Amino acid sequence: MSRVRVWDLPVRAFHWLIVVIVPAQYWTARQEMMDFHILLGQVALGLILFRIIWGLIGSSTARFAGFVRGPGAILAHLRGRREAAIGHSPIGALSVVALLVLLLVQVGLGLFATDEDGLYSGPLSHLVSFETAETLAERHEQVFYVLLGLIGLHVAAILYYLVVKRDNLVAPMITGDRAGNGVEAMAAAPAWRFLVAAATAAGLTWAIVTLL
Amino acid sequence: MRNIVLAAAAAITCVTAAAAQLSPRRAAATIESRQANYKQMAAAMKGINDQLRGGNASVTEIRRGSAVIARFAPQVLRWFPRGSGAEAGVRTRAKPEIWSDGAAFTRAGATLVVAARNLETAARSGEVPAIRAAMAGVARACSGCHDGFRAPER
Repeated sequence: MSRVRVWDLPVRAFHWLIVVIVPAQYWTARQEMMDFHILLGQVALGLILFRIIWGLIGSSTARFAGFVRGPGAILAHLRGRREAAIGHSPIGALSVVALLVLLLVQVGLGLFATDEDGLYSGPLSHLVSFETAETLAERHEQVFYVLLGLIGLHVAAILYYLVVKRDNLVAPMITGDRAGNGVEAMAAAPAWRFLVAAATAAGLTWAIVTLL
Repeated sequence: MRNIVLAAAAAITCVTAAAAQLSPRRAAATIESRQANYKQMAAAMKGINDQLRGGNASVTEIRRGSAVIARFAPQVLRWFPRGSGAEAGVRTRAKPEIWSDGAAFTRAGATLVVAARNLETAARSGEVPAIRAAMAGVARACSGCHDGFRAPER
């Protein structure tokens, strides 16, 4: 079996950083390490913005246009038609988009939230009243559990692939490669595109947290 | 010295309040109004913190907030008459330690009074670094008491 590249380094790095950050944010909130929680939230914002930009200008398997499919393709996939292409399956694409949107919502709520004592506030909390900021903090807590549910579904799907379909999806997300014969490999994006995406995401994050 | 006087005054207040028995309705009303007062203090804290963020702090806004804190801080110990804990049957996160370790609770209350007074002085001066430092003191006083005397959510 020959090996083909499936995921580029930015996609993998983003994925695993989110895997670390989500539980870390739960932990820092629980331990009331709010300064750190707010800081890490801003890092998460930057990463999510980067991933969205990378979804527009990144390598072939990173791009939304390459993996977000219509209902026809999703149904065909569910009926078991085998995909020759690498990258996200039509169902996996739904999961990716849902997770990204939810992460963005979660970080967005955190930006405006404040704790019940008015001691710790997200960087945009000054734009809303205490009551609003407190309500948003409650939503921030609730959305976390929605996010957990989606993550559970995501992990369950990977286990299903591993156990039932005998297809290990975790290893390619680490190494970037998977076994493949006669499939078209990922079309990599040049490094300058990464620099553009990273600089744009960092600049946007900085502008959001300091200028607004 | 001032701290000791404050603590003594607060302790007397606490003991006087504890002597009166609370009817269930009074207990519920007490809990409700103290929660509303804490909300006002929290809103004032956020209001001041909002001003301290970024370069152009409005001293007028900060003074408005510090006045709220300074007005409420000396009252806090009176908001906890015996019988206004969980036994009142109303949702409250006030821990029994407030009454079983009254001395420590009274000290925590006195710490807040001093911190609030420092904040008011700093707000009057209009010096942002001084206000920032005083706010850190008030935040420490809030958290210091919450750590020991307020139960976690749910």
